[in-house]
Amino acid sequence: MSASPIDPNDSLGGTIQSPAERVTSEMDTIESHQSEIQSSTHSVARARFTSNADAFWSGVRDGRGAPAMVLFAGMVGFGAMGRTNGFDLWFTTATSFLMFALPGQIVMLEMILVGASSLTIALATTLTATRFVTMTATLFPMLHERDRNKALYAKVHLLAMTAWAVSLKEFQTIEPKHRLSYFVGLGLLCWLISVPGTIVGFLIAGSVPMPITLGLIFINPLFFLLTFTEIKVSGYRLAILLGSIAGPICYLLDRDTSLLTAGLIGGTLAYWIDRCWIRRYDQKASP
Amino acid sequence: MSVTASLAQNLDTAFAIQQGWGAWLALLAASLGTYLCRAVGVMLSGQVSQDSEFFRWLSAVTYAMVAALTIRLIFLPIGLLATVPLYLRILVCMLALGVMFANPSRRLVPALLTGTLLMVTIGVML
Repeated sequence: MSASPIDPNDSLGGTIQSPAERVTSEMDTIESHQSEIQSSTHSVARARFTSNADAFWSGVRDGRGAPAMVLFAGMVGFGAMGRTNGFDLWFTTATSFLMFALPGQIVMLEMILVGASSLTIALATTLTATRFVTMTATLFPMLHERDRNKALYAKVHLLAMTAWAVSLKEFQTIEPKHRLSYFVGLGLLCWLISVPGTIVGFLIAGSVPMPITLGLIFINPLFFLLTFTEIKVSGYRLAILLGSIAGPICYLLDRDTSLLTAGLIGGTLAYWIDRCWIRRYDQKASP
Repeated sequence: MSVTASLAQNLDTAFAIQQGWGAWLALLAASLGTYLCRAVGVMLSGQVSQDSEFFRWLSAVTYAMVAALTIRLIFLPIGLLATVPLYLRILVCMLALGVMFANPSRRLVPALLTGTLLMVTIGVML
């Protein structure tokens, strides 16, 4: 990876470069589930980066592709929303900079418009941000012991769903000691792109033809749908499938808590099926 | 009104200050709440080993949560995307996934562009 040129437009496919390497990764998926998890989170055979700076800039390069597109589009939509609802540029941009969590930002604008109190707004936005708890708790244990210190409390602000999805996949082929630098490079770019994105959205609000707006809205869910195809661990694939089924059902029952309940139900069910059947079967299958 | 005229009008009033302290206070509270969730995650991550069963369970829950959000945005959207018929939304997703799988190096950007441009085209025809 470090020796071969990196396509700046290729954010997620960047790990698989030569045909020889691709064969190795395909062989990995054939191996048992147990070793699959261990190889995906623990040992990395070859060194991908020579230094932390190398890892940082690789994160920035990977971010320039799909993650930047997705975040920029989302923030353009948010900026336009701020403009059309009578918020000023400073406030709208500061929201993206300080919160950096699109669903929460939208909830906050809507609640300010209906005149909710600051306390209610804080509670509602915190509820929409609960996904960050599990995202952080699943991503940061993969970092090197040395990096798991107090400084993470500052760096965690760079974490959004986009950077999380990309990091989780890329960490599998990065040595633990370089993972934090990669994450900071990727996350910093995503965070900083949200400011110009919001400003552009604010300035072009109302001037953009409807089809373009439609494309901008659609790019976000499409990105996450596509990243699901990159997940190799069968237990997590099952979690995605069951979450997809539980999601709409929970949403129709109760909108506000649907994500949390769908995650808990779908995820726990997938975990148990994986533990009781899939892993046991894999252990029998492999000598 | 032409695009340039509306852009010019936008720029004309873009930098005015409109928000009172109440909105800024709400932003401060919301930012603190959002950051709190990230901080709790860091705190929790210090207790979690990546080889533990708890980590596997938590990962499964997170994946299910992200999947639920994605499916909701595609199948039960609100606003402009809801004006696109469901079968067209599914069709665009299928074609984008097709591009993702068809390319041996599994490129994300071409698949993302395919889906987005198809949606723009649908918008033009609607």
